[in-house]
Amino acid sequence: MARRFGLLYWLGVLLVAAWGLVQLVPILWMISTSLKPLNQIFALPIQWIPRPPQWSNYPQAWNEFPFARYFVNSFIVSASVTVLNVFLAGLAGYSLSKYRYFGQRALFIAILSTLMLPIEVLMVPTFLIAKTFGWLNTYQGLVIPAVADAFGVFLMRQFMLGLPDSLVEAARIDGAGELGTYFRIVVPLIWPAVLTLAIFTWRETWDAFVWPFIIISEDSLRTVPIGLQRFQEQYVTTYNSVMAISTIAMIPLVLLFFFFQRAFIRGIALSGLKE
Amino acid sequence: MVGLRTTPADMPAKARDVGRARPWLRSAEARHQAWGYLFLAPMFLLLVVFKFVPMLQAFYLSLTSYDLLSPPRFVGLRNYATLLQDPLFHQSVGVTAYYVFGTCVLIWFVSLGMALIFNAPLPAKNVLRTIYFIPAIVPVVVYAIIWLFLFHPYGLLNVALHAIGLPAVQWLSDTRAVLPGFILSSLWRFAPYFMIIYLAGLQSIPLEYYEAAAIDGAAGAQAFRCVTLPLLRPTILLVVVVSIILMSKVFTNVLIITGGGPAGATRVLSLFIYQTGFQYFKMGLASAASIFLLFGTMTFTLLQLRLFRDDPRG
Repeated sequence: MARRFGLLYWLGVLLVAAWGLVQLVPILWMISTSLKPLNQIFALPIQWIPRPPQWSNYPQAWNEFPFARYFVNSFIVSASVTVLNVFLAGLAGYSLSKYRYFGQRALFIAILSTLMLPIEVLMVPTFLIAKTFGWLNTYQGLVIPAVADAFGVFLMRQFMLGLPDSLVEAARIDGAGELGTYFRIVVPLIWPAVLTLAIFTWRETWDAFVWPFIIISEDSLRTVPIGLQRFQEQYVTTYNSVMAISTIAMIPLVLLFFFFQRAFIRGIALSGLKE
Repeated sequence: MVGLRTTPADMPAKARDVGRARPWLRSAEARHQAWGYLFLAPMFLLLVVFKFVPMLQAFYLSLTSYDLLSPPRFVGLRNYATLLQDPLFHQSVGVTAYYVFGTCVLIWFVSLGMALIFNAPLPAKNVLRTIYFIPAIVPVVVYAIIWLFLFHPYGLLNVALHAIGLPAVQWLSDTRAVLPGFILSSLWRFAPYFMIIYLAGLQSIPLEYYEAAAIDGAAGAQAFRCVTLPLLRPTILLVVVVSIILMSKVFTNVLIITGGGPAGATRVLSLFIYQTGFQYFKMGLASAASIFLLFGTMTFTLLQLRLFRDDPRG
C-alpha cells in the first residue's frame, strides 16, 4: 500500500471524483428537467439550472394522480412485510441455529433452495394461488407472498451461529422460557443483523414492482412504483411532470440510504445469496 | 443424538415425567425439539405455499392449455414443442443471453476497478463512495424513466455524442443499438452494487500479505496478480454468479423503456413470460417458458450455493 502523494496521485483522485460526478449527471438532468417549462426541455445548450425554476410542475404532477394514497399504500405494505419477515425469519434462523432436531439440515437446504425461485420465474402460478385465495387487489395479497422470502432466514441463522450456545443455555436454565430467551437474550445480541435485514427488506419491498404490478389493478391499492409507471405511461411526453414525480419518488430511498448507510451497505455486502 | 440438551437443571423434570401421560412431549429433549419445529413452522409454511407449490404448479401448468376461463386441459409436452419451434421464443432466449452476458462481463471488470480505487488511500473516501453508490439506490421505476429520457433522440446521450463529433443514435428504434443502450444503463445501475461486494472481499484480505509481498519485492501490478487476485477468487466467483442471476430476471426497466420492442429486440424471457401469460392468457405456454428460465436460474444458483459451501466464512 504505497502512499504516493505526487502529482499523479492527485490527478488520479481528480479523475475518480470527475467520473463520480459523470455518473450523477443522469439524476441531475432529471431534477433539472423537473423544473423546466415544457418547451425548454430539449433546448440547447442545456440549461442545468432553469431560470426561473418552474416549481409549479411539482404540485401539478402530484395532484394529477392520487400519489398521497400510493405513498400510504407503499408505507403500509413495506412496514407490514418488514415486521413480519424480520420476525418470522428471526424465529426460523433461531430454530435452525440454536436447536437440534430431526431433519434440520434438509429443512435448511429446502429453505435455501427457494432463493432460486424469484417472482419473475413464478409469476403465473403465484398469481393463480393469490387468485384462489381471493387475494387479488388486497393488502394481504401484496404483503403475505412478499413475506415468504428466505434471505432473512439465511442471514439470521448465520449471525446466530456466531453466538455461543452456552449463553442461550444459561438463559434457559434461568427459566427465561423459549420465547423470553429469544427476545431478551438473542435479539439484543444480534441487533445489527436485525437492523440490516429490516433496512434491506424495507428497501426491497418499497421498490418492488413485478408482484404489485401483477396482482393490483385497483387504483386505490397501487404502490408508488406502480403509480409512477402508470403516470409515465399516461404522460409520456410531459417530461417535466414525469421527472417531478420521479424526483419525489426517489426521496424516501435516498433518505433511507443516508440515515442507515452502514446497515444499508452491510445488507448489500451480505446479499450475495439473495440476488 | 448430537447436541442433546440435557442439562442438570432439566433432570428432575425429566425424572418426574416418567410414567405420566404423553411422556414423549414431557421430556426435555422432546420439548426442545418441539420448540425448534414450532419456531421454524410459520416461515416454512409460507415458503411452501408461495415457493414450492408455485414451482410444482408451474410444472403442472406447463403440461396444460389454460386461459383462466375454462379449466386447464392436459396437452402433454405440446407447449414445449411449441416453444422450441417459436421464432419469438428463440429470439427471446437470444436477447436474454446477449443482455445478461453483455452486461455481466462489463460489470465484472468495471466494479472491480471501482472497488480497487476505493480500497486505496483516497481523500474524502466516504463522500466519494456515497456518490458512486447513488445510481444503485434510485428506485427501479425511476431508473427506467431516467434512461428512457436519456435514450430520447434529443436526449443527453445523443447530446454527448454530438459534442464529441459522433452521429446521433436511435437508441429506442434501431434494433442494433437498443441492447447496447440497455447494457450501458444496467452497468450504470449495477456496477456500484457489485463494487460494494468486491470491497467487502478486498477488505477481508489481511494487510500483512501485502507487507510480505512488498518485502519480497512485489508491488503494484505484481502484488495485485500474486496477492489480491488469488485471495479475491471466492468474491470474484460470487460476483460472477450473482450478476448472471440478477440480470437474467430483469423485467421492470425493459417493460417501461421499450415494452420489448423494437421488433422484439429487447423482449427478455421474463417479459416473454409476462406477455404470454397476462396479455395473451396462455398460462400453460407461459409456464413452460418459466420452466426454461427456472432451469437457467437454477443452474447458476446451484453453482453459487456450491461456492458458498467452499467459502470458509459461509
